[in-house]
Amino acid sequence: MNSNDRSAISATPVVDPLAQTTAPAPKIDRRSNAPGPSPGRRASDRRLPASIFTPPAPPPPPHLDDYATIVGQPQLDTLRFLAKELKGKSIKMVNSTAVGGGVAEMLNRLVPLLSELEVATHWDVITGGNDFFEVTKAFHNALHGSSYDLTKAAQDIFLMYNEQNRERMRFDEEMVVIHDPQPAGLIRSKPKTSSHWVWRCHIDLSNPDARVWDFLRPFVEQYDAAIFSSQSFARQLPIPQYLFYPCIDPLSEKNKELPDSEVQKICDDFGIDRSRPIVTQVSRFDRLKDPLGVVQAYKLAKKYVDCQLVLAGGGATDDPEGAVVLKEVKDAAGEDPDIIILDLPPWCAREINAIQRASTIIVQKSLKEGFGLTVTEALWKGKPTIAGAVGGIPNQIIHKLTGVLVHSVEGCAFQIRYLLTHPEFARSIGMAGREHVKENFLMTTNVKRWLLLFRILENARARKPAA
Amino acid sequence: MPDKEKPTVRKPDKPFYFNTSEHLLRIGRQKACNLSELLQALQTCPDDSIFQHTFRTLQEHHFIRQGFSNDFGHWSLAACNEPALAEQLASVDVREFTAIEGLRRRMIEILDQFLQERPRSASRPAFEPFYFCAADIVVLPTPFAPDTLAGFLDGLNQVSVHSIHHHFIEARLRLHRMSNDFSNWLEQEVGLTEAAEAVERIDIYTSTMEGVRMQIARIVSQAMNN
Repeated sequence: MNSNDRSAISATPVVDPLAQTTAPAPKIDRRSNAPGPSPGRRASDRRLPASIFTPPAPPPPPHLDDYATIVGQPQLDTLRFLAKELKGKSIKMVNSTAVGGGVAEMLNRLVPLLSELEVATHWDVITGGNDFFEVTKAFHNALHGSSYDLTKAAQDIFLMYNEQNRERMRFDEEMVVIHDPQPAGLIRSKPKTSSHWVWRCHIDLSNPDARVWDFLRPFVEQYDAAIFSSQSFARQLPIPQYLFYPCIDPLSEKNKELPDSEVQKICDDFGIDRSRPIVTQVSRFDRLKDPLGVVQAYKLAKKYVDCQLVLAGGGATDDPEGAVVLKEVKDAAGEDPDIIILDLPPWCAREINAIQRASTIIVQKSLKEGFGLTVTEALWKGKPTIAGAVGGIPNQIIHKLTGVLVHSVEGCAFQIRYLLTHPEFARSIGMAGREHVKENFLMTTNVKRWLLLFRILENARARKPAA
Repeated sequence: MPDKEKPTVRKPDKPFYFNTSEHLLRIGRQKACNLSELLQALQTCPDDSIFQHTFRTLQEHHFIRQGFSNDFGHWSLAACNEPALAEQLASVDVREFTAIEGLRRRMIEILDQFLQERPRSASRPAFEPFYFCAADIVVLPTPFAPDTLAGFLDGLNQVSVHSIHHHFIEARLRLHRMSNDFSNWLEQEVGLTEAAEAVERIDIYTSTMEGVRMQIARIVSQAMNN
């Protein structure tokens, strides 16, 4: 692939035309008889934006200069200075999927930006049969802490597909980056190359199943460096370990600025009343996101302050447990007209963006979390954010400075009350939260980290005495 | 009252080269799960870890005006619920140190004293561990290398806050003296001794880095207009 040719990026998500005609309609549940913008009319009867039913075509990826108004020209100058020394060198990124999931989403933006800086970046995706992806899915869960009976057959499947991909791929680039455990075995090609080999681990390895980690560890130890998303996700390894926070793209549909008229229209369509406080949690209907705890916290807070609760997410259609959780949430909401439950398909990024922007407070009361990019999104929109102190969230929320950390339903309820009645404080943490994201969790910072790492590895090699 | 003598503004011999430093965070091998372990790790961790959790963390959190000073103080409050210790650690001003070793000694002194007075706090588990990190640093040029005071002001207003941090805060470790690159240039190249001193007196703990930039610009503008 010619890395400078934007149109040739093979991993851009492709919209399945069949999916457009068969996509399930979103489920909207505003408790009946709701007072609000359209009294007496059920939310499910409302006219909804067409984008809800039809996945929109992905917009073209932005150019570097498009970020100037967001991060400032000095930041772009820094990227160009960093890239100058690397001009003509190249990077290969390898992962296991071209569409869907956070890694593919991130690579879709990162690859063209690095290439625009004349650091040619190629993206390859490994192939494998269902048996391979069943094994790697099990590895993924085991590395997150689930127990797994690692059999010889599973190891053989992992190794066989890694070998097949290794024989198919070339590694001519100066830096090879392998994302996550699935392609970790490609490291066996390292002795035949002069590349820097980097393992980018996007998952939490703080409490892995010992057998799976013992199997993968010898591969990981052969890399020149490893990258983790949080200090707490790392392992003790004999190679340098770097911290790359996950990031959001401020120009994506999920995060770009929206005209207020569009925010208003989307709120009207969903029956959200912008004249009253709105407390929102955006997340899958998953027990670990504790939507029931959020409903409880809202009910406790509602005794003292007027507000609506919006629970916007998905996962109830393709995940049997999600459907169960959604039903429990609806039962817990009862007939409260101020609880608005939105089960949205995954392509409703613009709608989520509008709901976040319309919100007075955003909550992410997770019980367990990876990095928590929904928190990043909320902070970027300058929203006072209340979140569970788990996973990577404390990296983003510095308690009472860039948001508020909570450990219980009662704590969450109190903070909802406090922030709704202290708007100056709420505004100040919202503003600091946005600055925190601008400094640490935007796509441009991610580009900078890759350039820095590349330069650091190149310089370290140049300093090394010849054997 | 006699008029104060106007400072003589000289044409500088050397331009001011605005640079910036970028950092890549490395995850260290040490972690502390209580205050006793923090004390132990403070005694043995590499210098660049001390740098990261004091000087460098100020740069990462440059947008916060109050309540954040260094990672040790923050962790003592957020993870160990020890406000008195947190206050003492947070009150350590990195600008009083021209070498990491002195800063390390001061942190150890405060923590050691605290644990002697409250030994039961030593082994109480923290809510979350303190992970020692460090940073690999790359210094980069910027397009600004002014050789006039007006050009200096222009550059000051256009560079990133990372550049301000590099010249104003990190400079002490490079210069090994209680000063900063801006004050040095204003005094030695332009002859603005009072302005140089005023810049040095700016309080970085009650201002954001943008605020620091504005205060420096105001001081230099006033000196130019005098």
